[in-house]
Amino acid sequence: MKPMARRYLFVKVVSDRGLTNEQLHEALDSSARRYFGEIGLSRIDPRIMRFDAESSTAIVSCERSATPELMSAMALITRYSEASLSLLVLQVSGTIKGVGRRRK
Amino acid sequence: MGHYLDLHVIPGPDDLVSCERMAILLSTARYSTIGLTVATGLLNDRVRSLRRIFEEHGLTTVLRADFKPDSRTELLRLLRRFRNLYDLIAVKCVNQHVAAVSCRDRRVDVVFFDVGNRNLRFSHTFARLLHGAVEFNLVSDLMGQGDGWAFSRIRKAVSIAQEHHVNVILSSGARNCEMVRSPLQISALATCLGLTREESIRGVSSAPMAIVTENRRKHAQGYVEDGVKIVVPARR
Repeated sequence: MKPMARRYLFVKVVSDRGLTNEQLHEALDSSARRYFGEIGLSRIDPRIMRFDAESSTAIVSCERSATPELMSAMALITRYSEASLSLLVLQVSGTIKGVGRRRK
Repeated sequence: MGHYLDLHVIPGPDDLVSCERMAILLSTARYSTIGLTVATGLLNDRVRSLRRIFEEHGLTTVLRADFKPDSRTELLRLLRRFRNLYDLIAVKCVNQHVAAVSCRDRRVDVVFFDVGNRNLRFSHTFARLLHGAVEFNLVSDLMGQGDGWAFSRIRKAVSIAQEHHVNVILSSGARNCEMVRSPLQISALATCLGLTREESIRGVSSAPMAIVTENRRKHAQGYVEDGVKIVVPARR
C-alpha cells in the first residue's frame, strides 16, 4: 500500500516559558481536538519530527490534505497550562530536507 | 517570495518593548507591510517612534485609523477631519446606519464587523453597497472562541462576500506579540472558513496591496480625484 503523503511545517514556538517536546505535542493535539474533533485530529495526524528548545523551533508533520487544518489549529493556540504560547508557521515543505534547505 | 501584508496591527504605544517583539515576529513571519493602527489623538512624535521600531526590522508601515462611530453624522465628521491624515481608513460597524454609510462612502477603505455583536452582521445589503473591502480579523475574532458562534458568523460573512465578489482582506488584529500569526496561518484559517485557497492567499497579499497602492497614488502630489491630476509643465 502506498504510504500517505505528508507535509512538513517549520514552526517558531513563542512562549514565556520553556516547553518540552511532549508539552508541545499535547498543546497541538488539544487544539486540533478542540477545533476539529477526534476524527479531525486522526485525519490531521500531527507529529513532531524535530524540536529544538534552544532556538524555539520545531518541524511538525501532518497528513498532506489536512495541512490547512493543522495550520489553523496552530494559529488558534494561545495558552498552554498557564503560560502564553503561540506557534508561527514559517514554511511548509513536502520533505524534511526541503524545510531545512529553504530556511538557510 | 510573495509580499504579505497584515493591515491590522494594533501595538500599544506605551509598551515599546512589546512593540519591538511584535516587530521581530512580524518580520520573522515574512510580512513586508503592516497597517499600523494608531489612535487619532496620538502625538506625531510618538507615531514616528512607533513607525521607526517597525521599520528598523524591515517592515513597511502604513498608518491606519480605526473609527468606531455611533452615528452616521459622527462617521462623516471623522472622515472629513482625518481622511487626509492617514494612509488607510477602517470603520468598525456597530449599527445599521453606520454600516450602510461606511460601505457606501468612497473615503472608507475597509469595513469590519464585530463578531460579538449579535444585532449586526455582514449581510447581502452591505455586500451590495460595499465600495471598499471587508476585513476579517481572524486571530482576534477567533481567539478563545470555543462555542462556535464566531466561526459560524465569519463563515456566513465569507459566503456572502464570495457570492457578491466583494474584496476580502484577511488580517490578524494583533494587539500584542502573542497574537501575531504568519500569513500562511491566516490564509489557512480562511480556507477552513470557506474561502478558496487562491482567495485566501489574495486576502493577505494582492487585495490589501491594491488598497495600499491606490491610497499612495491618491496621496501623491498633483492628485485631485479619479481621472483628474495636476500636471505641471516643464520649466523652460
